[in-house]
Amino acid sequence: MMAFKTLGFAGLIVLTSMQVHSEDARSALGGLFQNLLRPAQTAPSGNAGNALGGLLNMGGAANQGPTSTDLVSLLSQSLEQIDEPKEIEIGRQLAAVLLGAKPLHPNMALQRYVNRLGRWISLQSSRPDLPWSFAVLDDPGYNAFAAPGGFVFVTKGLVDQLTDESELAGILAHEITHVVAKHHLKAIQKTAKTGLLTQVVASQLKSDLAGGLSSQLLNLGKDLYSKGLDQDDELEADRNGVVLSASAGFDPYGLVAVLQQLRTATPANPLFALNFSTHPAPQVRLDQMELAMGQRLDIFAGQPSVTVAQRLARAGNR
Amino acid sequence: MQAHPFRAVAMGMLLAVGVSGVLGQTTDEIVSVKRPAELRIAPGETARSLAPLALQTPLTRLSARQGAWIQVRTAAGTIGWVHMFDVGISGAPATGSNVATGALRSISNFFNRGSAQGTTSTATSTVGIRGLGSEDIANAQPNLAALSQVDSMRQNASQARKFAADAQLHSRVVAPLPAPAAMASANPQSNPFKVP
Repeated sequence: MMAFKTLGFAGLIVLTSMQVHSEDARSALGGLFQNLLRPAQTAPSGNAGNALGGLLNMGGAANQGPTSTDLVSLLSQSLEQIDEPKEIEIGRQLAAVLLGAKPLHPNMALQRYVNRLGRWISLQSSRPDLPWSFAVLDDPGYNAFAAPGGFVFVTKGLVDQLTDESELAGILAHEITHVVAKHHLKAIQKTAKTGLLTQVVASQLKSDLAGGLSSQLLNLGKDLYSKGLDQDDELEADRNGVVLSASAGFDPYGLVAVLQQLRTATPANPLFALNFSTHPAPQVRLDQMELAMGQRLDIFAGQPSVTVAQRLARAGNR
Repeated sequence: MQAHPFRAVAMGMLLAVGVSGVLGQTTDEIVSVKRPAELRIAPGETARSLAPLALQTPLTRLSARQGAWIQVRTAAGTIGWVHMFDVGISGAPATGSNVATGALRSISNFFNRGSAQGTTSTATSTVGIRGLGSEDIANAQPNLAALSQVDSMRQNASQARKFAADAQLHSRVVAPLPAPAAMASANPQSNPFKVP
């Protein structure tokens, strides 16, 4: 773990420097980490390049660029001022925090499957060209997270609880709609406006995060994932999630089935604690879903769905 | 001292119930009829009725689901299907298991998190398994190597379309759902999905 973090950080320094004065950095460090942060494939969206550039331009101790300050000051203004590259840039930082909380699950076939499934669903959204990225975190708990710009995470514990693919589709669709509607940016902005930002700035003066990422944004992100999103935004993501999963060809009741399962767990259960403390109670979500759905989506329901294990076993997924 | 072995056994049993109820599928969940409905022989409104289901009839939920329809068993042992939205947990009779009352507790605990240290918590913490929590997030240091790996795992649109074709998934036009009345003013024209 230590080695990973060190490597990651070194990579950041190298690439940060590369953008500002690339020749120096390359000669100083021999380009050892040059491709560490480079996407291994051409991203589907032209924005990915910008996002990477943005991340690298977070400013280290040596070259405190204006970007991190800009990001946080943008957050204290209006959502419209955060353009897509900036949104992705913020998302990358938040995604890095979540990945710092739990590692990626080592099952690459599972990671690939979740990426293909999630990418297919994201193609039906109104923002199909974001650099959508999906990942399974190696954690026994039951949760899913998203970050601006197209990052979606599910825990292995959640995957293990799924009855079938339509449930996973519903969960991914729920998270995708959070990204599409910029719910995380809204929530961070709310915190930024209500004064936490001031505290965060003050704490940054005391302990700069080794000169790397924007520690302001880091703290705002940590606050976000501990407290969760606006509760109405969760209910909206439930509604839009079932519609989105149905539009991708899935049984819309997959998400409803997940909520019914969640209902049987208690918030004191440590595998579900964070999910419950950051979301409306499952019964509240179910009641709202019933009000919104009625039987409107029943014509899209009822098709057989495979299990995750069955899907992974199929050769076509390799 | 004499009581200890007993208590340990009782705790163990509680633990077993708790773990199976949470980690297993919801095969033993007790649900209750929310509005008068029919127990049907197969999924769907047009399937033959096996019996009328009066308000608050307790049913055992079985694992099968087809779309909106779930398989249930009556106290008399008849197995049939009901629409998911026709059953709920409220009004379910208290049973030996705490599963049926779990959601009610979850609501009260949701608003009173500080004291959510009930029996379940004690029992499950004995297992020593817990999920990603606020403390993990508070202690997290950005992992850029993992972020780079996430970048490398990304699939493009054509890979996703091939997956969908292999899985026989087809995109469909689905109208957005209106927000329920109580929330209608919150976001009246929210429609993040394209309707081609």
